Amino acid sequence: MATVNSEPQVFLFLSHILRKKVVKPDGQQVGKVVDVAAEFVEPYPVVTGFILKDGRGQNLFLPCKDISIVDEDTYITDIPSNKLQEYRPHDGELLLNNALMDKQVVDTNGARIRRINDLQFLQAHQGLYLVHVDVGFRGLIRRVGLTKTMDKLLQMLFDYTLPDQLISWKFVQPLSSPDLLRLNIAQNRLSQIHPADLADILEDLNIHQRTAVFQALDKETAAEALEETDPKVQVSLITDLNSARASDIIEEMSLSEATDLLADLPKAKAEGILREMEKDIAEDVKELLAHPEKEAGGMMTSSFLSFRPTVTVRQAMETIRAKGEDVDMLYDVYITDEEEHLLGVVTLRDLLLASAETILADIMDKRIMSVNLNDKEEVIADHFAKYGVTAIPVVDDKEKLQGTIMFKNLLEIVAPELGK
Amino acid sequence: MHGKLANIRQKLTQGGMWKLGLFFALIGPGIITSNVDNDAGGITTYSLAGSRYGLSLLWTLIPILVALIIIQEMCARMGVVSGKGLSDLIRERFGAKVTFYLMITLFLANMGNTISEFAGVAASMEIFGVSKYISVPLGAFFVWRLVVKGTYKSVEKAFLIACVFYFSYIISGFLVKPNWHEIMTSFVTPTIKFQVGWLTMAIGIVGTTIAPWMQFYLQSSVVDKGIKAENYKYTRMDVIFGSFAVNVVAFFIIMLCAVTFFTNGLHIETAKDAALALAPLAGSYCAWLFAFGLLNASLFAASILPLSTAYTICEAFGWESSLNTKFVEAPQFYGLYSLIIFLGAGIILLPGIPLISIMFYSQVINGILLPFILIFMLLLINDRKIMGDYVNSIVMNILSWATVAVLISLSLAMVLAAVVG
Repeated sequence: MATVNSEPQVFLFLSHILRKKVVKPDGQQVGKVVDVAAEFVEPYPVVTGFILKDGRGQNLFLPCKDISIVDEDTYITDIPSNKLQEYRPHDGELLLNNALMDKQVVDTNGARIRRINDLQFLQAHQGLYLVHVDVGFRGLIRRVGLTKTMDKLLQMLFDYTLPDQLISWKFVQPLSSPDLLRLNIAQNRLSQIHPADLADILEDLNIHQRTAVFQALDKETAAEALEETDPKVQVSLITDLNSARASDIIEEMSLSEATDLLADLPKAKAEGILREMEKDIAEDVKELLAHPEKEAGGMMTSSFLSFRPTVTVRQAMETIRAKGEDVDMLYDVYITDEEEHLLGVVTLRDLLLASAETILADIMDKRIMSVNLNDKEEVIADHFAKYGVTAIPVVDDKEKLQGTIMFKNLLEIVAPELGK
Repeated sequence: MHGKLANIRQKLTQGGMWKLGLFFALIGPGIITSNVDNDAGGITTYSLAGSRYGLSLLWTLIPILVALIIIQEMCARMGVVSGKGLSDLIRERFGAKVTFYLMITLFLANMGNTISEFAGVAASMEIFGVSKYISVPLGAFFVWRLVVKGTYKSVEKAFLIACVFYFSYIISGFLVKPNWHEIMTSFVTPTIKFQVGWLTMAIGIVGTTIAPWMQFYLQSSVVDKGIKAENYKYTRMDVIFGSFAVNVVAFFIIMLCAVTFFTNGLHIETAKDAALALAPLAGSYCAWLFAFGLLNASLFAASILPLSTAYTICEAFGWESSLNTKFVEAPQFYGLYSLIIFLGAGIILLPGIPLISIMFYSQVINGILLPFILIFMLLLINDRKIMGDYVNSIVMNILSWATVAVLISLSLAMVLAAVVG
């Protein structure tokens, strides 16, 4: 875009651009700017042209390159009238006023949902780039057209000027339509948010947005966020997915979280998902599902590592490195005999400090506390409090190791009681 | 064969129970909204309507019922289909400028309603002999704590149960053995009086029965419940049932006050007078019964109104608005919420302020504002980009645009009557 402005970089607000007129060099009016088309490229969307409304109410497209001079309130173009075409949307291109103004977005830096009051462009390198969104009160007042009044009033009363509140486009994830969610998927801004914050955002969104956002997440991010979400919201999110996609996400969750979620789902849905899941994970989940949720069997995970007492530290560490990726409980490993009877526990700390050729029997702690499959949550909470451990192994009536309860899992059950 | 039958029976009972359960799970927004609808302003306006104009306004409840069902149904439908609140939709569709001025207007109107709720607290407690300088600050503090401390949900049930108070109007209505023939004749015979007072009263009745703020409240309740389109029919039942309930109560209050006051040439000057309508049921305890009912209605609405207003405005402007956040995270929300309560209560504490007039005229303002909110709603619900196939049918559109026209002409007629008369 050619410009008379000698400044190399100028910031412009969309609300300002929308007020501009487009005229011919002889002063004849072509139309008014009603929207701005931009191509969504990284890092900043670039404006490709303007949508004009002419005197007869028709929408015309004026490409950026055809604007010769930019004035304070007008664009001057020498494009012949018959060259002005009606606007046809292209892939990866959006009308900014229509798609973004007044809509909700996620500020991925602050992990909050905001509403766009205005858009800010940078005019540089012969182009116009969308660089900031304005979410502040000043932006709102600018749209209302009372900036001067507000400035005078605040200056008079408090000697204060309200600053703009801008968020860089890099940290903005639009929510308003599935198209917009897909646009950013390559870069996946939502996955930069901490899963716990993402879960809060999901809970804040309305039911349609929530589903759309969730379905736009990659399965790892979706699983992480899902683990942190309220059980009711979990159920509604998973119910909206087909079984194949749901099982992909649930497989990524920790075993005990996945079990809790499946237990909350309607039976038919849960069975459908289990059928789609990988055999071995599905078997583990089914085993855990058999236990009541508030007993040790329902709270434990069967995803942990166990070794024979004769295994050396080196061998143990090799196994941990090879398999550890998908294991829920890694900080304690359990020592069992051939019949799975629990003999002792070795912590990761023990393993790191011991020399490589030591056998586990020599470093294991035999004074191990365990709970029975049928023990209730109170008993388990007491054990955690009394022994100050990070995990408690669970055994059946024959003292065979069945799983382990991590402190994290207990916390989910105890936490609601804490506030009272 | 036997197994098959058992299977079918099981399916039927399962389905039946499930549906019944679903109805109760989804019941709520409509019923609660309708109970809040009979707030201090409502009870006062209906009482005044009967005592001043006898049975001549009774028939207006029929078109009001139709309009109420239509409007609330549209709100619920918009909530279910778009998943967004009314102010959210208005902002996205009409932009910042329109929304800004609309929110200011709504804030002022709702401020008026909040003042009227605290007037209700003051008036009811005066019957018990408690000065408003004690009852109103206590009431305000109670309401503020209730919501900020997050105990509202548990108290809501108590409020709802206390709403059986409205039955006392219905029971009294039968106990006085009124001339049902005369009442039913008035009920189905439309009469219009071209008097400022009568027209103002009609607008007041519309405004209190179909309060603008309640449409915002209803829609966000529906959104919060996360009701899906396939379960929408239960929400519609809930809304229609609630609308009927409001109008039945209104009918009995107006009728009872017409019989008690208008036919005997009595006037309602204070809340204590209005209580006389319940004398057939409660005898000399009628004042206490009325005071209890008015207090419950006032506190119930006072706990919802400021919250709903703050929520509506924050939603429109994109401010954090959740009770699960701390004050510093949502300063606008808590600020607005507290401002509405304390300003609302504070104004009632001004010496010599006329409680009954405040409760009445706040409802007239509602009635004047309503058609404009309705226009926004109609533009939104007919927008296919928002509603898809759930846009209004032609019949709905004709009825609702007619409602807008009638409401605006009613306001114009009132102004005209004031100028002429």
